[in-house]
Amino acid sequence: MRTPGGGRLVRALPAMGLLTACVASPPSSGGTHDPGAADSSAPGTIVAAAGRDDSLEPGALGTVRAVLVDGWKGPGGRPFEVAVRTRDVESGHARRFGTITLRTTLRGPSPDLVQYPCTSCHLGRTVAMKDKRIGDAHQNIQPRHPALLGAVCSTCHSPDAVDSLALRTRERVGLDNSYRLCAQCHFKQADDWAAGAHGKRLDGWQGRRVVMGCPDCHDPHRPAPLPRIPFRAPTLLRGRGHD
Amino acid sequence: MDASEKTPAAALPRDGSLLQKPVDRRRALTVLAGAAVTGAQALSACRPLNPLTDEEREVKLLAWREYIKGNYQFMTEAERAETIARLERQALLQRGSAVTIQSTGAQPGVVFGYAFNISKCKGFRSCVEACINENNLDRNADTQYIRIFEMEDGVIDLDHADATFQHEVPAEGHFYMGTQCFQCADPPCVKVCPVGATWQEPDGITVIDYDWCIGCRYCMAACPYWARRFNWSAPEVPVPEVNPNQHYLGNRARKTGVVEKCTYCIHRTRQGRLPACVEACPTGARVFGNLLDPDSEIRWVLANKRVFRLKEDLKTEPRFWYYTD
Repeated sequence: MRTPGGGRLVRALPAMGLLTACVASPPSSGGTHDPGAADSSAPGTIVAAAGRDDSLEPGALGTVRAVLVDGWKGPGGRPFEVAVRTRDVESGHARRFGTITLRTTLRGPSPDLVQYPCTSCHLGRTVAMKDKRIGDAHQNIQPRHPALLGAVCSTCHSPDAVDSLALRTRERVGLDNSYRLCAQCHFKQADDWAAGAHGKRLDGWQGRRVVMGCPDCHDPHRPAPLPRIPFRAPTLLRGRGHD
Repeated sequence: MDASEKTPAAALPRDGSLLQKPVDRRRALTVLAGAAVTGAQALSACRPLNPLTDEEREVKLLAWREYIKGNYQFMTEAERAETIARLERQALLQRGSAVTIQSTGAQPGVVFGYAFNISKCKGFRSCVEACINENNLDRNADTQYIRIFEMEDGVIDLDHADATFQHEVPAEGHFYMGTQCFQCADPPCVKVCPVGATWQEPDGITVIDYDWCIGCRYCMAACPYWARRFNWSAPEVPVPEVNPNQHYLGNRARKTGVVEKCTYCIHRTRQGRLPACVEACPTGARVFGNLLDPDSEIRWVLANKRVFRLKEDLKTEPRFWYYTD
């Protein structure tokens, strides 16, 4: 079995002391570790789940706000969590895990949750969602989806509870459960998403399974990925005298 | 044979302690190394204009000890800890970067597998960028482990694929397919290595001991996927950009004349994390997990999606599958 915090054991070795010991005598098997020194570093070690050592890149999953997914199970019937955005508005654009920045700029350039919560303007009153858009406060949203199918704002948004989404079952769910809304049409993608073949799992293949929600990548009003210029092309190519 | 018969007695300690027991070549070299450094010290004492500083002496000693160490596969835990302490010290003294080198072993009951969704990849190359930063790849030679090929819809033809596209992606009527080391279950690169410097770990990752590699490049000739890269010059990574989270078999500093390759980010994946390419992929085209766990995402993909492997007829059994939605 792995020892959590193995990296720390190595770090705890006094490099210089070890060096002089090497010169003086051939390396003895074991005995170079000071158990006391190893124990003293142990309290700082946070092991989130079996086989994981979060002390190496602290706070990776700890920075992700997530809730348990309702209605879908992962492979083997395992429950899993979905990242929420209403309390972490910028997360759909970039997340940082240790050295890696995940840039989910599949979405449009402007965050669409800047006006959330809706009740800050609408004060909980019922909103008249008309089929024809008027010069309202949401001109930043130019929906392409699902308008092509003849849908209007109230197809997804709930006029009577503006902070919520309206399911076909007349149930109202929060924005963090938007996967339930999307799955009404995109049921195949939802099954793939729950099983891990669509979407993104965050941070680890082991331990807590936290996946990104639909609107983390897809702007609900314009779901297709935006084109962009890729990272630089390779300069070394096989077959041109390089390897 | 008694090794002491072959060893010049003059080079051994006066007390004859080494002569009384069999001495292998490596042990004898260890003693010689100590003697050489002590000698250099004595010599420098005669030349006060050019004395060795403590740091220079330490650098020389570290280099000696590193030069005569064994193959990582056959080291004891104590020897591994010692060489790691030396390498960390070398990184600090010679390159000025404080790094942590792991020797984390494979988790029991884990074999890593990888799936790549060619319907989802849009050619953004975020994986390439993350790989370079995470694995301390040579910025000077612009080493990249991952290749993203752009192909026209309809046929997978890598001979006529473009890996150097530099236009806005995704391009109309094209799809993208990434390649890297596939961590074959029957790796031809391992078979051809004449010195045992590359081998397959229990979790399926083929690794290289950079200090044992002699740079013959047989493995590069044997690999049907061009997964390995050779260091024609010492890799250069600016100190602020060095990833300090390193593994002995992974992203630690390489040197001139050795081969390197993708290790599925061994320093991350053995800690339960995802490889950097999977982590950074903005489209979710990459799936990674434990093939031995029937409830893993990778197993679900293999069981429920149409999958294929590249050059499967070569029977190298890559642990890297392509799938479509």
